[in-house]
Amino acid sequence: MSTSISAGVADLLQDALAVYSDDPVAVASLQAYATRLSEPLRVAVAGMVKAGKSTLLNAIIGEEIAPTDTGECTRIVTWYRYGHTPRITLYPAVGEPRILPFKRVDGRLVFVLGGSRAEDVERLVVEWPSQGLRELTLIDTPGIASLSGDVSARSTEFLTPADAPSEADAIIYLMRHLHASDLRFLESFRDTEAGRSGTVNALAVLSRADEIGAGRIDSLLSAGDIAERYRRDHSLRKLALGVVPVAGLLAQSARSMRQADFESLRLLSGLDRSERERLLLSTDRFIRATVPEGLSAEARASLLERYGLFGIRLGVVLIRSGFDEPTRLAHELARRSGLDPLLDLVARQFQARAEALKARTALVGLENLLRSVPREGAGGLAVGLERVQANAHEFRELRLLATIRTTGIPLSNELAEEAERLIGGWGAAPGIRVGLAPETPPEEILAEARSYLKRWRTVAENPLTDRAALETCRVVTRSCEGIVAEFSALQLQRQ
Amino acid sequence: MVETQRPGGLATKTGSPGPSRSPATATAAQLIKLVEQGIGLVSDGERADLRKRLDQTLRRLRDPNVRVIVVGEFKQGKSKLINALVNAPVCPVDDDIATSVPTVVRHGDPASAFILLPQADTDPGDDEKPERQPIRINELAAYVSERGNPGNAKKLVAAEVFLPRKVLAGGLTLVDSPGVGGLGSTHTLSTLTALPSADALLLVSDASQEYTEPEIRFLRQAMRITPSVVGVLSKTDLYPEWRRVAELDRGHLAQVSPDIPLYPVSSDLRLEAARLQDTELNAESGFPGLIGHLRKEIVGKAERLQRRSVSQDLLSVTENLRLSLQSELGALEDPEGTPRMIAALEEAKSQADELRKRSARWQITLNDGIGDLIADMEYDLRDRLRRIQREAEAAIDQGDPGPTWTQFSKWLEECAAAAISDTFVWTSERAQWLAAQVAEHFSEDEVALPALRVSDAGDALDPVDDMPGLDDGRINPMQKVLIGMRGSYGGVLMFGLLTGIFGMALINPLSVGAGLLLGRKAYREDKEARLKRRQGEAKALVRRQLDDVTFQVGKQLKDRLRLVQRSTRDHFTEIADEHHRSLADSVTAAQKAASVYRLEKDMRVRQIKEELKKVDAVHHAAELVAAEVAQSSTAVQPEAGPTAEGRTAGMAAAATDSTAGSPTAGSPTAGSPTAGRHSTGPAQAGTAQAVAAGR
Repeated sequence: MSTSISAGVADLLQDALAVYSDDPVAVASLQAYATRLSEPLRVAVAGMVKAGKSTLLNAIIGEEIAPTDTGECTRIVTWYRYGHTPRITLYPAVGEPRILPFKRVDGRLVFVLGGSRAEDVERLVVEWPSQGLRELTLIDTPGIASLSGDVSARSTEFLTPADAPSEADAIIYLMRHLHASDLRFLESFRDTEAGRSGTVNALAVLSRADEIGAGRIDSLLSAGDIAERYRRDHSLRKLALGVVPVAGLLAQSARSMRQADFESLRLLSGLDRSERERLLLSTDRFIRATVPEGLSAEARASLLERYGLFGIRLGVVLIRSGFDEPTRLAHELARRSGLDPLLDLVARQFQARAEALKARTALVGLENLLRSVPREGAGGLAVGLERVQANAHEFRELRLLATIRTTGIPLSNELAEEAERLIGGWGAAPGIRVGLAPETPPEEILAEARSYLKRWRTVAENPLTDRAALETCRVVTRSCEGIVAEFSALQLQRQ
Repeated sequence: MVETQRPGGLATKTGSPGPSRSPATATAAQLIKLVEQGIGLVSDGERADLRKRLDQTLRRLRDPNVRVIVVGEFKQGKSKLINALVNAPVCPVDDDIATSVPTVVRHGDPASAFILLPQADTDPGDDEKPERQPIRINELAAYVSERGNPGNAKKLVAAEVFLPRKVLAGGLTLVDSPGVGGLGSTHTLSTLTALPSADALLLVSDASQEYTEPEIRFLRQAMRITPSVVGVLSKTDLYPEWRRVAELDRGHLAQVSPDIPLYPVSSDLRLEAARLQDTELNAESGFPGLIGHLRKEIVGKAERLQRRSVSQDLLSVTENLRLSLQSELGALEDPEGTPRMIAALEEAKSQADELRKRSARWQITLNDGIGDLIADMEYDLRDRLRRIQREAEAAIDQGDPGPTWTQFSKWLEECAAAAISDTFVWTSERAQWLAAQVAEHFSEDEVALPALRVSDAGDALDPVDDMPGLDDGRINPMQKVLIGMRGSYGGVLMFGLLTGIFGMALINPLSVGAGLLLGRKAYREDKEARLKRRQGEAKALVRRQLDDVTFQVGKQLKDRLRLVQRSTRDHFTEIADEHHRSLADSVTAAQKAASVYRLEKDMRVRQIKEELKKVDAVHHAAELVAAEVAQSSTAVQPEAGPTAEGRTAGMAAAATDSTAGSPTAGSPTAGSPTAGRHSTGPAQAGTAQAVAAGR
């Protein structure tokens, strides 16, 4: 199903290349779209300044490579993609790309720009041999609402260019609280994309979730409630596919926990409760304190820097309740940091429909080209474009999803919610669509999908159903048929 | 009566401020005594007008009110900061839910709480007093937080909490405001409109990161209304790198204005310190520094202003009293000179009378200035909103407005709020400038009360020498206007009003359904026509909405300006009236003195001398207070005087800029008429710089 889209779009791009063969600019961009189709999905990490974008990016990759700092840090759009050997390439706004010297301090990369100023650099590309990057190219962006206006402008220009499809196929948007600038940005990201293809392809992350409850041990529960409220929030719902809370710092440090960290935490867990609470009253106190003996000032500072008060509190409590072994503790911390649900959501929402998302970017680009540089003989292309857009079921799903979340459809709430799930609003895997647990045997999924199919056919045939809802019914039944067909084929193979 | 207090003793007590200055409260008590003594003097005679003035002074002294408004983005710990300042959980604090209604925390015993509701039937005008309802303190959360009162659905104007706390005793009043959440939101507008009534503002930002662009943008705008700002870096207990952030923030603040202090604090540590009675922990929380600043700089400054205005009131009252006593004494002791003296007094009287007339220069300046200001304000508002309307219509033309109507109306609301904020800030600045202008004209034309030198019969009349190093307290009518606004809650009402307008019916994207019922007519219609109609509907809605905004907000701003006009006029008219009355009294007294018998004469002379001695004692005491204020203000920091001057200079400069080439330039009202209407941008920037330079 999905391969056919990619193939269709690739063919279309080849035809376009033939038509525009004498226009070098068009050829370059068309070739870029074509290569993009076979590359991993590009996901940008965006958000206001100091939302914790680089920290989360490190957590997703599982290694601390992106530089982070208390002051504003990321000033250049930086790509992290898979490569066999580590390499950093600088792409200036004007001129040839050049390789930067490879330098790391405490494991983090240091970008030595040489003679270039940050303003003149279009992007940095970091190639890194990390498993996480095989499926996903991650893009770190400078913060929005920065006091140095040109930095923010660079991000906005990159993510929401005025007259081209965005370089990113999807976006993970970080925010600390739902802020007016957050909404405005998400809206503009959707606008450039959706103006023509009408989809939602952003995930919202409530970042620095541990700080929401002032670092209390129940901070993440509190953050979970807030995320739940945002998920239902009308203005955010139509801009983002989901909202998850993540304690980015904890996630990053847990995924790269060192033995020394564990030893320090274990020392701390040896203290009795009241003494520990006094110690953890403030960061200054923690650094100044003399108990427990054996914990050096550097170790304290490093622990605080890597885990924060919340991470230390949680780590100590976990050690006391039985996670007294580094690997287990690291896993538990990572789990509690909320990173897993985020990765899960990324897989469900982005990777599962990576083909469609990439193809869509290419189509938007092609459409732009056709409109801005009309050509003789391009008529056939326009027809082909129209055909792919109208016929590809994935696009219809994405479009309907956007409609359900923005204007709504004239169906009962219950039916609308069901439709949203069946067309993959909660995740594109068949199991999730029919509302069953992921490890459910295929027979049950098949049976469930059949019953949904029947139900939606009935809805479609009901004369009382609103005409405007018929299109919805058509798409939903088609999605159900897709699942049924897939699983029937599986069964046939097995027999 | 005065007999209980020895005048001489009192003077030394108030006047000599010793090496270590006595605590503020003691001084306040002494000032109250002094004013009471002044009232005793006035009650002897028949000067109800002077009595009224001193009564007002006394009321202000007994109930000092220094408003400090706490502002910042939401979830920066504003409410907790107030709780930590007063060591009591008054303002509700939550991980998620923010404050939705401004909460005023001030001194009072016993602890109590009230909510203020707008009165339903009155016009949202100037003198409206909100209705007060007592509530239980622990129920406050149900009224002021988003949870109990989402989006202020209960339509409260504010909540008030009274607490018996030492930190509030000096009249410090803390106002917890709903978070601003990015400039352009309606919350920002309500915060800005509340600023003119505030003596200072605390800008709260947490230690997780340096200032963001919206925060600094808000600060720049706010400083044009309230130049007294204190930065607070909250939650230092949670972030190990807070020192770095503080350093970065100091850098950003220095770019806005060179002398904004920044206090890093931790509310949690302070509350914990209070629980454990741990002074070391309290010191660590950073609060002692902040409280010290609030006490010394903000309350202290307000107190200095207060003392200055008290001393000025007393000086002017005693001068008025002295004049008639001295005239009578002069007539008694030197009957030959009496006719000349009376003639001179009559002359002064007629001059003072001029000042009371509508044709007096200051009156014209004021009336013309307000008229122009209102016209400019209306034009400015209309112009800004019309631009928004045009943009909105262009957006509607681009597509079907139905699906995006919710976002669209929100956008419209934000744009309108931002436009109104701009107009508001600009109007406040202009109003302040106008008041200063009027004061200048008044004092230029004012007849100084003559002093009679009894010993020297040659020149009967001599103008009073000004106190050296003292600027005239009467020049600052803005002070009085602001005190008048303090109770009006106008800004908060404006906010409520705006959301009221925007909560109107939306275009229903499914309105086609109704068409279906009416015989499927809608479906037969051409799709194009349907879209056109919908666009038309949307445009009409936008137009109506913006019209409403223009009308309502224009009315609010106009009311505000009228309030400025009224207070300014009353203020100066009262002074002119007092002078007129004193001169008239003196004439009568002198005339009466001529027909007094010898025997009575001696007795009367003694009486008058006795009376004069009392008046002089109070006068001397007031002079000492004034001198002390002048001294401390030059010693501690540049006072409100220089600031006002700086601002005036800036405004004047801005006005000259924009009226250059206009034929009216140089006339008394020059600059105020059309000044800066089109060139608001540069003119305002100039002012901001001038204010900054003046400070």
